[in-house]
Amino acid sequence: MISSTTMAKRAAPALACIGLLAVWQVASLVLKSDSFPTAIEAIRAIPDILGDRESLINILASLRRMAIGFSIAVLVSMPLGLLMGRSRAVAAFFNPLLMVIYPVPKAALMPIIMLWLGVGDITKTLVIFLGVSLPVIYHSFEGAKAVEEKMLWSGAAMGLSPLQRLVRIVLPAALPEILTGCRTGLVLALITMITSEMIARQSGAGNILFNALDMGQYDTVYAMIIIVGAMGICLDAVFERVRARLVRWSEPQFDLPLSFS
Amino acid sequence: MKVVPSRLSEWVRPVTLQQPACAIIEIERVSQVFQTSARKDHLALSDISLTIDEGAFVSILGPSGCGKSTLLYIVGGFVNPSSGAAKMKGQAITGPGPDRGPVFQEFALFPWKTVLGNVMYGPRQQGVRTNEAEAQSRALIEMVGLKGYENFYPKELSGGMKQRVALARTLAYHPEVLLMDEPFGALDAHTRTRLQNDLLNIWERDRKTVLFVTHSVDEAVFLSDKVVMMSKSPGRIRQVIDIDLPRPRRRNELLLDPRYQKYVVDIERMFDESDEAGSPS
Repeated sequence: MISSTTMAKRAAPALACIGLLAVWQVASLVLKSDSFPTAIEAIRAIPDILGDRESLINILASLRRMAIGFSIAVLVSMPLGLLMGRSRAVAAFFNPLLMVIYPVPKAALMPIIMLWLGVGDITKTLVIFLGVSLPVIYHSFEGAKAVEEKMLWSGAAMGLSPLQRLVRIVLPAALPEILTGCRTGLVLALITMITSEMIARQSGAGNILFNALDMGQYDTVYAMIIIVGAMGICLDAVFERVRARLVRWSEPQFDLPLSFS
Repeated sequence: MKVVPSRLSEWVRPVTLQQPACAIIEIERVSQVFQTSARKDHLALSDISLTIDEGAFVSILGPSGCGKSTLLYIVGGFVNPSSGAAKMKGQAITGPGPDRGPVFQEFALFPWKTVLGNVMYGPRQQGVRTNEAEAQSRALIEMVGLKGYENFYPKELSGGMKQRVALARTLAYHPEVLLMDEPFGALDAHTRTRLQNDLLNIWERDRKTVLFVTHSVDEAVFLSDKVVMMSKSPGRIRQVIDIDLPRPRRRNELLLDPRYQKYVVDIERMFDESDEAGSPS
């Protein structure tokens, strides 16, 4: 029993994708450029990439770095942001540091990091870590700052220690905001993952893309762009599901209070 | 032969003082200074001394900005006074504790917890076993009139229902004193009346000590044994009035009672007088 409007809603993303591919196909046929393959050619190249053991290992290695960088960043940034939000001293110490790092493109730091740590996994993971950290810190900070004082007082009256209040009141109360930061962080993780592999060309999904570009295999280049894009969409969709489940209590669909005193 | 005790201490046996009404909270010469943005000190509370007897329903009544909530926060241990001290059962109050349970105007419920989860939070923190805490909490939820709403989230509830949950959540950990900070201030008139009635019904069962902050004269007279009138800038106690009205109180009887009406009119007149005397402009 699905109404036509919900059908339309569900079909909309698919229609948008098909529309984009159609425009691409037509544009490519009109332009007839070697460096601009048609959508169909690019899509045909996808199974070749995903079927190739070497490529698959590369992509999985990329994803692994991304997962590690993202996880460590969240584990470090979230407590730091929460502490900053609840302690003026901690905020006063870290805020200037973050202000300096914030506008710097993390990829711009890569050459320096490569000098210290080489071109291996550590460097790339570190860059992903840096890219993810800032939005997570910022949103955790804002979320913790916004926690109602009286909620903490209520907890204190029940006998919660300062640390318990941070973990059991500030953390859940700020969770919707923290997860907004994590979602931004996830997209940035994907971006920094590809850029890091573009700069330190050794392995990974970015490496496949840029190698193909060097060799003029344009269908592979575009296929990789589609794969990376699809990974982004899938990761975001999975994350959004988890997020929606975790903060169900704050979703606007609950915004219609019952009328009863 | 008469045996004469050799020492005085043997004559005077230590007697445990048992007064009919025992002081549970003592506020001794409390002053509170806040620093305003312009580096000027603002005296929010000036030299407040007040004793609250166990089991009494005491209202602190005053205009907004007279520091009445601050006084309540000092008793709660959420704010430290600039000078003076508050004591609970003779012990200096140094911080919040489960013996003093706050109920705030803003409800301050945990939005990620259901009604049941909110009410169970205190008992669980106190180490009560889950089954037991749940049974007690369900009974309390029923008592505040929210049976059937156990699994609702605060966001799904109206203001009046939220305040019922907040009251149940605080009662759940058995505080000796309830600290109510304009609890019905954010509610519409009808809801407010219903909650006042229900609060009185609940209170009359176990007669916990209640310190109740309000700016409504009717509310203070209707609920309290004692009304502490405060004036502002600086916040001072103007007068303490005993409300000598029979209990249990029923609104429909009380509103027609001339004694009730006289209390309300007298208190309102006193506030009007102080406004005229105290405002130079």
